[in-house]
Amino acid sequence: MSKQFVRSAKNVVKGYSSAQVLVRNATANDSDGPSVDTLDDLAEKTYDSVEFFEIMDMLDKRLNDKGKYWRHVAKSLTVLDYLVRFGSENCVLWCRENLYIIKTLQEFRHEDDSGVDQGQIVRVKAKELTNLLKDEERLREERSLNRRG
Amino acid sequence: MSAVDLARSIKKACSIEEVEPKRKHVRACIVYTWDHQSATQFFSILKSVPLAPSEIQVFKCLIVVHKVVQEGHPTALREAIRNTEWIRSLGRVPSNEYGRLIQRYASCICEKLMFQASHRGFDGGMFEYKEYTSLAVVSDPDRGYDTLWSLMDLLEEVMETCKLMLASMGRRRKAELVVAAVVPLVTESYGIFKFCTAMLRALTQEIDDHAALEQLSERYRMQHRDLFELYADCSSIKSLTSLISLPKLPPEPESFDMTDK
Repeated sequence: MSKQFVRSAKNVVKGYSSAQVLVRNATANDSDGPSVDTLDDLAEKTYDSVEFFEIMDMLDKRLNDKGKYWRHVAKSLTVLDYLVRFGSENCVLWCRENLYIIKTLQEFRHEDDSGVDQGQIVRVKAKELTNLLKDEERLREERSLNRRG
Repeated sequence: MSAVDLARSIKKACSIEEVEPKRKHVRACIVYTWDHQSATQFFSILKSVPLAPSEIQVFKCLIVVHKVVQEGHPTALREAIRNTEWIRSLGRVPSNEYGRLIQRYASCICEKLMFQASHRGFDGGMFEYKEYTSLAVVSDPDRGYDTLWSLMDLLEEVMETCKLMLASMGRRRKAELVVAAVVPLVTESYGIFKFCTAMLRALTQEIDDHAALEQLSERYRMQHRDLFELYADCSSIKSLTSLISLPKLPPEPESFDMTDK
C-alpha cells in the first residue's frame, strides 16, 4: 500500500501528465499485469500526438531500467506489444525507429536474490515483439483485424 | 546517455573479475552507438582503457567489441574495420590461461572484419539474410563463387574458434566468461550458414554447369555436419541454453538436387 502511495506522490512531485501516470501505473513494480482497460486507454491516447510522445518517453525510460526492476521492462514490453497492435500507426513507426532498444533486450538477464532467472520473460517478450515488427505483412494483417473488431 | 556514462559502462563491461561482461553494460554501449549514430566515441574510449596487464580484461574487451559490432549501429562495423589492426594487436598480449583463446578470438574477429570490408553488401554486423545481396552476387557467377567460398572460409574460422572455446571449458573452474564468448560466435555462425544456404541455392538455379558447383556443395555438406555437431555440443551447456535459444539445423543438409532441371 505504501509503495502505491509513494508512487502517487512521485507522480505529483515530478509533474507527470495523466498519460504518463497511466503508463507508470500500468508498468508498476508489482506482480499484476496491466489490465486490458488500461491498455485500451493507452492505445486510445496514442492517437493524440502530444500524449503519444509522453507515453513513449515514459516507456523508453521503463525499458532501459535496470535488472532489479525487471518487471518494469517486462510490463513495458507488454504495453508496447499492445500499442503496436491496437494503438496509432505512430507506435509502429516509433518502434521501428527504435528497434534496437527492444532488440537488445533479447539477452536481458537478471537473477533475483534466490537465484531465479527472471530475465526469461523479458527475453521471450522482446524476441516476439521483434519478430512481429520485422514481419510487416503479419503486422498489417493483425492491425486491420483489430480495427474492425 | 553522455560520453561519461559510456566510459563508465565500458569500464564496467571490461572489469577485471572473471565473470561474463554484464549484459547491462554491453547493452548500454550498443544503445549508445544507435543513439549517437556513431561508434567513434566507443572505440576511442575503449582504446584508452588500460587492458594489457590483465588477460581477463582483454578477453572481455574482445567480447564487447564483437557484441557491439554485431548489434550496434552499422557505423560500428565500419569503425571496427578501421580499427582492425588494434584488435589484432590485442591478440598479441602475452598471457597464459586465456592466451590461446584471446589470440584465436582476435584473429577470428579480424577475419570477419576483413571479409566485410572487402565484400560490400554484407553490411550490418550480424549476417542478416538479405534477398538482394544473394541475388546481386549470383547474377555474376564468378564473383558469386568467390564470395561463397570466402564466406565458407569465414564460417570455418568461426566454428573452429567456437570449438576451441568449448574444449577449453572443461578444465576451468569458472566457465561463464568463456560461455559469454560462445554466444556471439553461435549467432554469427548461424547467420553465415543461412547466407551460405541461400547463396548456394541461388547459384544452383543460375548455373547449368553443375560439375563446377560440386566442390561447393561438398563443402557445404561438411560444414552442415560440423555445425550440427557444434550446436549439439552447445546444447549441453545449461547457462548457454537458458540465455539464447540455439538455432536448430535440419538433421540433413538441404540437397540441391541438380537432376530436376
